[in-house]
Amino acid sequence: MPPWSNFEPFVVSGLALGGVYALSGVGLVVLYRATGVLYLAFGAVGALGALTAWSLAQAGAPGWLTWLACVAVAAAVTLGYGTLFGPALAKRDPLVKAVATIGLTLVLYGLMDLLWTTSGGQARSLTLPTDNSGFTIGQITVTDTQVIALAAGVVLTAATATFLRFTKLGTAMRAMANDREITATLGVPVRRVEAAAWLGCGILAGIAGLLLADLVALDATTLTFLVISSLAAVLIARLRSIALTFAAALVVGLLHDLLTPVVSLSNYRDMTPFVIAAIGLLVLSRHRVMVQSREGA
Amino acid sequence: MNRRRTVVLAAVLTLAGAVAGCSNINSTSSTSTGSTGGTTPAGTSSSTGSATVDTSQCGSKPGVKATGTPIALGAIATNQPGTSFTDIPNMAKAYFDCVNANGGVNGHPIKYYIETEQTNPAQVAADARQLVQSDHVLGVVGSTSIIECSVNSGYWQKTGYYVIDSGIAPECYSTPNSAAVNMGPRYSSDGAVQYALSQHVNKIVFDQSNVPGTGYIAAGPNALAKAAHTPIVQLTENVPITDANSVAIKEVDDAGPNGAVVLNFTPPEALIILQAAQKLGLENRVKLWGCSTPCNTDFLATSLGSKWNGKLFVNAELTPPDGTGTTAMNLYKAILSQYGKSVQGGIGSFSQMGFTEAEIAVHALQSINGAYTVQSVNAAFKAVKDFDTGMLCQAWTYGSYPLHIPNNSDYTVTPSDGKMTTAQGCTQISAVDPQIAQYRGAAGTAPNAS
Repeated sequence: MPPWSNFEPFVVSGLALGGVYALSGVGLVVLYRATGVLYLAFGAVGALGALTAWSLAQAGAPGWLTWLACVAVAAAVTLGYGTLFGPALAKRDPLVKAVATIGLTLVLYGLMDLLWTTSGGQARSLTLPTDNSGFTIGQITVTDTQVIALAAGVVLTAATATFLRFTKLGTAMRAMANDREITATLGVPVRRVEAAAWLGCGILAGIAGLLLADLVALDATTLTFLVISSLAAVLIARLRSIALTFAAALVVGLLHDLLTPVVSLSNYRDMTPFVIAAIGLLVLSRHRVMVQSREGA
Repeated sequence: MNRRRTVVLAAVLTLAGAVAGCSNINSTSSTSTGSTGGTTPAGTSSSTGSATVDTSQCGSKPGVKATGTPIALGAIATNQPGTSFTDIPNMAKAYFDCVNANGGVNGHPIKYYIETEQTNPAQVAADARQLVQSDHVLGVVGSTSIIECSVNSGYWQKTGYYVIDSGIAPECYSTPNSAAVNMGPRYSSDGAVQYALSQHVNKIVFDQSNVPGTGYIAAGPNALAKAAHTPIVQLTENVPITDANSVAIKEVDDAGPNGAVVLNFTPPEALIILQAAQKLGLENRVKLWGCSTPCNTDFLATSLGSKWNGKLFVNAELTPPDGTGTTAMNLYKAILSQYGKSVQGGIGSFSQMGFTEAEIAVHALQSINGAYTVQSVNAAFKAVKDFDTGMLCQAWTYGSYPLHIPNNSDYTVTPSDGKMTTAQGCTQISAVDPQIAQYRGAAGTAPNAS
């Protein structure tokens, strides 16, 4: 086992990655709680937004416009999908709803391959000005983008939790999570509430896409399937707890990067989300079985 | 309700696993390009360059359209999301179109069939049979595929076809019936490591994609480092890389301040590692960075910026097109401009390879006096000896050898404010690599190009 000093640089990168996973996870949980849809196209819409931002940057657009475009594209696609297919899928099984979003993922993935071809070996990148500033801890350089990634995860998790708890719209979303029909009969405009959830999720997808394009890679495949790491956190939180999603996402990001200097495990670190999700689900299931047994006794 | 939720959670986890599996399949294919297939240097130069040679030089009768019996040739190329090598046969087609418009080959036009595949062995095998049995091609020129050589090498030997291709898989270089115009990932990595060793680094970290064939590729750099009594650390990374910061930190930590990090990845993967290193201020924490041919692209040089000027050294298998005004280079640019509408990458290694393969094929076809048959065409291909393509350091030879590495001398380029510029002229890949030694033992050392 390498000495602790070898692990120190990976704490920073792991926390930054975990922060963006948390951001994605929060978006997924909010949408699931409001609509019952597990949005597997989260990564793909973020990738579409990031690639659009890249194209605008190539055309000479100012940075702020490209960032806005990234978020706007992801939000528009997500809201459009939710508005178009949300009502039709509202009464379907959650599994059907999730699989339907894989359809959107594949359509977007094909579209990105068509519009941003990789023939000829093009290598694209999207960099933020915050990459060039930062500070040093010991021998470790921490960029402002990494700080922003972690801060965004913390702030948006707190803001979303507050929003769901203390605002009227948030309360409506929580009510819909329990029973959509009863909520509707109480006079809550469910379509409007769902649209707000889709839009919020799309905005978070755009922000995550922008940060991940900078922190990880501007590549359709990579960004599309990075959602899986967030899914692990979401599953551990059983699609309910935002705080647990945040914590699990940080653990996934941190553990993933901390395995890098361990030679024997380094090439298996991409399994981290699955292993953590599987262990998390097993532990939670066991805990529930024990509680039920005690209640039965 | 709880039970239902648990079922949904379990199903979603399974789905996520399946989606992840798809992702891995894709990415593996994708990286194979760089590593298994890193040979296929993406080497894309974005410069346009002006052609001073017109395309009438393609054939012996300028402006006269060939009307004789067509000579059928074919190619197989990978074309899937994330990995497309179609620019290579598309450029070969552009060359053939130019030839056809200017008298053809002894009056015969070339009819060119391009089959595409998605890394499916059964499909790749079927493509070969389609070319031979349905399209009745007389020769195979311009193939570039992640697995084609591995799947079809036996078929080509059995049917007597001598393929002129761009190599990716080991079988493109180690079998009697395939001769590539490029070096492939192993010999290109040799070139990058060789340059680093020539700069007296005290340690090499060689990092490549974690795909099948890494052991074969790593054997070359290992042999070179061992002969130079320089320690070498072999690393592999799962692709697509999702934690470039960690990868860059690990490489730099392993190499040390007087060491070198040498990468063998596709351009996008190499770029994210190098950019991560730059963001973390790691580019100067080692003596130099090296890369096999896929990094030879102006896209990469532009994205990296000036911090890497003279810090990153990239192996280049083909003559850099920028600033080269030879007849062959100008003809290549003129053909690309007039006939290469389907060549998406424009000027760069992919289209240079397609041009070179077509050029060699036409040169061979012109030497045939009798009927154009499978036997005569492939005999002519095999008979090509010391042909100066204008695109390689050395003259190119096919010949009757158990293995073919006809391109075994390379350039080294380095970024210079958004462009790749030559850092070292033609240099032979060291025969310390046992495969190079075996090839030179059989075929000798080719003369330098003029």
